[in-house]
Amino acid sequence: MTHWIANLATSRPRTIYLFVALLTLGLGLQIPSIRIDTDPENMLPQDQPDRAFHNETKKKFGLADAIVVGAVNDDDPEGIYNVRSLAAIHRVSQEILKIDGVVRHDLMSLSVVDNVSQDGAGAISFEWLMHEAPQTGKQALAIREAVERLPLLMNTLVSGDGKAAAIYVPIVRKDQSYRISREIEQIIARSLAGSGATDSYHITGLPVAEDTFGYEMFVQMGISAPLAGLAIFLLMWFFFRNAALVVAPMIVAMATVISAMGLMIGMGFTVHIMSSMIPIFLMPIAVVDSVHILSEFADTFQEGDDVGVAIRRVVRRLFRPMLFTSVTSTVGFLSLAITPIPPVQVFGIFVGFGIMLAFLLTIVFVPAYIVRMSPAQLRALQKSHRGQGKLGMLSRLLPPLGRFSTANAVKLMVAFAVVFGLSILGLSRIQINDNPVNWFKSDHRIRVADAALNRHFAGTYDAFLVLRQHGQDAYQQFSGQAEKILARARLAGVDLDAIGWDAAARTGLDDPGEQLDAMVTGLDDALFDAGDAEIPYLEDLLASAEAAQSQAKYFQQPEAVRLLETLQRVLADSAHVGKTNALPDLLKTVNRELLGGMAADFAIPVTTAGIAQTLLVYQSSHRPRDLWHMVTPDYRSAVIWLQLRSGDNQDMSEVMARLDAYLADHPLPAGLSSRWAGKTYINVVWQDAMVAGMAKSLLGAFVVVLIMMIVLFRSFLYGVLAMLPLTITITLIYGLIGWIGKDYDMPIAVLSALTLGLSVDFAIHFLERARAIHHETGSFASTMKQMFKEPARAITRNTVVVAIGFTPLLFAPLLPYVTVGAFLAGIMAVSAIVTLILLPAMLSILRGRLLPETQGFVSASESHTGG
Amino acid sequence: MQAGLAASLALALLGVPVFSLAADLTDAAEIIQRANLAAYYAGDDGRSDARMRIRDGQGREQLRQFTILRRDREDGGDQDFMVFFSRPADVRGMVFQVAKHIDGDDDRWLYLPGLDLVKRISAGDKRTSFVGSHFFYEDISGRNPNDDHHVLTGSDAQSYVLENTPKNPATVEFKSYTVWVDKQTFLPMKIEYINEIGEIYRRMEVLEVKSIQGYPTAIRSKMNDLQGGGHTLLEFRYTRFDLGLPQEVFSERSLRNPPRQWLKRPSG
Repeated sequence: MTHWIANLATSRPRTIYLFVALLTLGLGLQIPSIRIDTDPENMLPQDQPDRAFHNETKKKFGLADAIVVGAVNDDDPEGIYNVRSLAAIHRVSQEILKIDGVVRHDLMSLSVVDNVSQDGAGAISFEWLMHEAPQTGKQALAIREAVERLPLLMNTLVSGDGKAAAIYVPIVRKDQSYRISREIEQIIARSLAGSGATDSYHITGLPVAEDTFGYEMFVQMGISAPLAGLAIFLLMWFFFRNAALVVAPMIVAMATVISAMGLMIGMGFTVHIMSSMIPIFLMPIAVVDSVHILSEFADTFQEGDDVGVAIRRVVRRLFRPMLFTSVTSTVGFLSLAITPIPPVQVFGIFVGFGIMLAFLLTIVFVPAYIVRMSPAQLRALQKSHRGQGKLGMLSRLLPPLGRFSTANAVKLMVAFAVVFGLSILGLSRIQINDNPVNWFKSDHRIRVADAALNRHFAGTYDAFLVLRQHGQDAYQQFSGQAEKILARARLAGVDLDAIGWDAAARTGLDDPGEQLDAMVTGLDDALFDAGDAEIPYLEDLLASAEAAQSQAKYFQQPEAVRLLETLQRVLADSAHVGKTNALPDLLKTVNRELLGGMAADFAIPVTTAGIAQTLLVYQSSHRPRDLWHMVTPDYRSAVIWLQLRSGDNQDMSEVMARLDAYLADHPLPAGLSSRWAGKTYINVVWQDAMVAGMAKSLLGAFVVVLIMMIVLFRSFLYGVLAMLPLTITITLIYGLIGWIGKDYDMPIAVLSALTLGLSVDFAIHFLERARAIHHETGSFASTMKQMFKEPARAITRNTVVVAIGFTPLLFAPLLPYVTVGAFLAGIMAVSAIVTLILLPAMLSILRGRLLPETQGFVSASESHTGG
Repeated sequence: MQAGLAASLALALLGVPVFSLAADLTDAAEIIQRANLAAYYAGDDGRSDARMRIRDGQGREQLRQFTILRRDREDGGDQDFMVFFSRPADVRGMVFQVAKHIDGDDDRWLYLPGLDLVKRISAGDKRTSFVGSHFFYEDISGRNPNDDHHVLTGSDAQSYVLENTPKNPATVEFKSYTVWVDKQTFLPMKIEYINEIGEIYRRMEVLEVKSIQGYPTAIRSKMNDLQGGGHTLLEFRYTRFDLGLPQEVFSERSLRNPPRQWLKRPSG
């Protein structure tokens, strides 16, 4: 097979060129149909129960995603309550209402909400709070007075310190938030110009963060990936000093990246934050195999040799180790496919595909390319490579390292054991936490806005606790009563069905609530036409149907509203919860204004009728629909809106634990259930899924790679040894994360599986090569001596290529990329060092079994692994 | 003419003889005046059962059922209304009382049996929701024709089309509204409200007109919320005009002691 491939490559180079060109072009043509996906929600599958419930909740309660615009005034003694600032807010709000894609009727701003208050004559009044901008300081202060009496607005629309005001801009579609936020920026600039207002405006909210993120993802792909390409090109230039030669790996890398991305996009997958990193992962990995071939070719090619013969020999030697390292890397990435996170799955699968494609391209394209090089180019290559290799710094540093490792084997073993132990300890200290807003750097305008608004307001992160009454008691009770009434009627010879109070209505509807409503209407109509005989029975039926209706409206009952109030108090006890908003706040406010406006009347009405009527009064305002953000029209579901000061998963988890603890001691009444929704909660869900999923995928990949190693080396001991460096590396890296207190977040989680795939390569090369050399020399000492010449150099060189290849990520505008870049460079370095120190030490200790002293015989042709 | 519900509330009655005119009217003020009378002043008084089905953008429905009594002090002038709620059962007994004044703010009271409270409602804004429906208070009571400028912008075989702009834009949420007035009955059959950015965001349509005691009455009408996607269907039944309602019915006493005699559905 290798013969066939190498022969084809060297005898039909043009065919190979054509094949690579067509593949790249064909798949590359798919790229323009790219669709970007920036929604962290998509970390969960569409039908994941928590996500489905979250979306159902949004729909049921009309909770559109909102852009939050904040105005802060630190100069005026009255804060935001001055004529100029309020006029600016008014103007900005009115202009925002004109933007396409804004859910106009749900916009929340001082200028479009109602003030419920007493007017002079002891009347209740629902008036626009700030229909027109105030003209005098006195009017401005009147608005302050009003806001401070409205708990639903206080600390939501204006901060408690009066220094900041907010406008909540609900939007129809999240993917428009970047455009809308840009339009809002222009509106703000226009409105502030010449107005004399000195407020600083901020725009934030998760939809903006997400959409901005998507925009910057493009920037990252447009800048970081080409930069990585450039870095790798320069690095290879440094190693080989031959442009013509270095072009080959670059072509392999480009073709791999373009094909993998093209295939992914062509198959209809969206580009998510994870998959946007595919180019930057594939580039260094794709180059590494080519470096092996070039290195080996430059080392062995003699002037006057037949180029075709030489390259075929190189391919034959390298095929097996390259295949194995490619397969192990692929296994590492493919293991991501067993996480429950779709974007991570897609990432793993297509990086895996890319690695295998890079392998294939390397063994067919690079030979074809070399065959077509001119004799002059070949001479130059050979010369530069040899010279560089002999005089390099690596040649001076590596041999002493080898001597040190074997001489201090036992001490090193102990040292590594200690490091391993400390790492395990560090692992136990890992803090699992993430917050998509923190994916931006701390000086990004979104982070700045986020910090400013959360400093003033009760919090801009949303979570929703949904309470739902499932109980069917009311309906069942009614059916029982209805049966009895109908039986009584029949006994008296009265046929109620005959007058047509619509039996269909009783049975035709799925929802018992709807059935009941239909029945009440039907009975009411029937009563009009009914004769004297029927009337008493119909009235009985109607009365018990209405009683059931009333009872079924759970959240109109005082106990239920008081329960909401209690839960609000429990939740608000958490330091992370700035404020909660729910039905009781609305009821208490309206009730107070109905009863005369005294603070003592800020209370929940004591009867169901009192509550129902208070709500009907509220619904006679400008914004009756706002009620349905808190309770559903059937009054069987209610929601508590939590404003959190932080979007950290840990903080949300603390709030959830607090509720659980309370509910453990105070169970909800029968039939009532509670469940979380909201983006902050969804982030917790996928984070948990990620952690559990990663553990599984890591374990799975570990076992698969271990088995592959045992098969490759045909030795259990060698297999275990091959896993040692990556085991130490992973525990060390994650232990370190635990010790330094860096949050274990999405990018960190993904790295584990990659580490496994990448760092096992070094061990394979080292052990395979050591075994081969030992096969030739039969002596441990001389094996090690040789190992720390060319093979150690190759490992070190690859480490540098990959590590440097990832460094452009350090300049990415988004933190997950930076994290990945930094940690991958670290992982490569650590695993190279561990390989070069621990493996010689272990081999030294186990040499009796693994590399026993023998006569030694030479079969060089099969031994060279190129490492 | 009045904005909204003109047609719907139909309690009205009459005074305006209905006959086909040989020639079309060309005076916007006159058309509006007659529409106002047709929609809100039928008869000298009236009663009607009303049912509102309030449907939100998600198709969820709520019901309001009430009986309206009306008495005109003067055709096209001041009127008294009483609205007695009967459904949902939890708001039964709630009463809304209005003394509508043409040359001043209306007086409005609310009786809440659940809180045992009679509360005055501030004179201010009339463009708030009527008990959570898509109709505004002003749609039910009738918008004062003097609050707008009226221009006759067209007409076809059936209707006059008038464009109306508020004299005091700060007090309303619309930029203008267009009304289609039936040439035969003078009932406003369709009204479209247009906002700052020129969108029609709200539309009233009369779905069914019935002649009751000779008064053309809109017995079914619908207010559509074109932004939020919901609508309210308003149906009038058991409508009677010229009952001879005494003025005492329209008093604070009736809040706690509803005049059962007038609330009963007329038979036949």
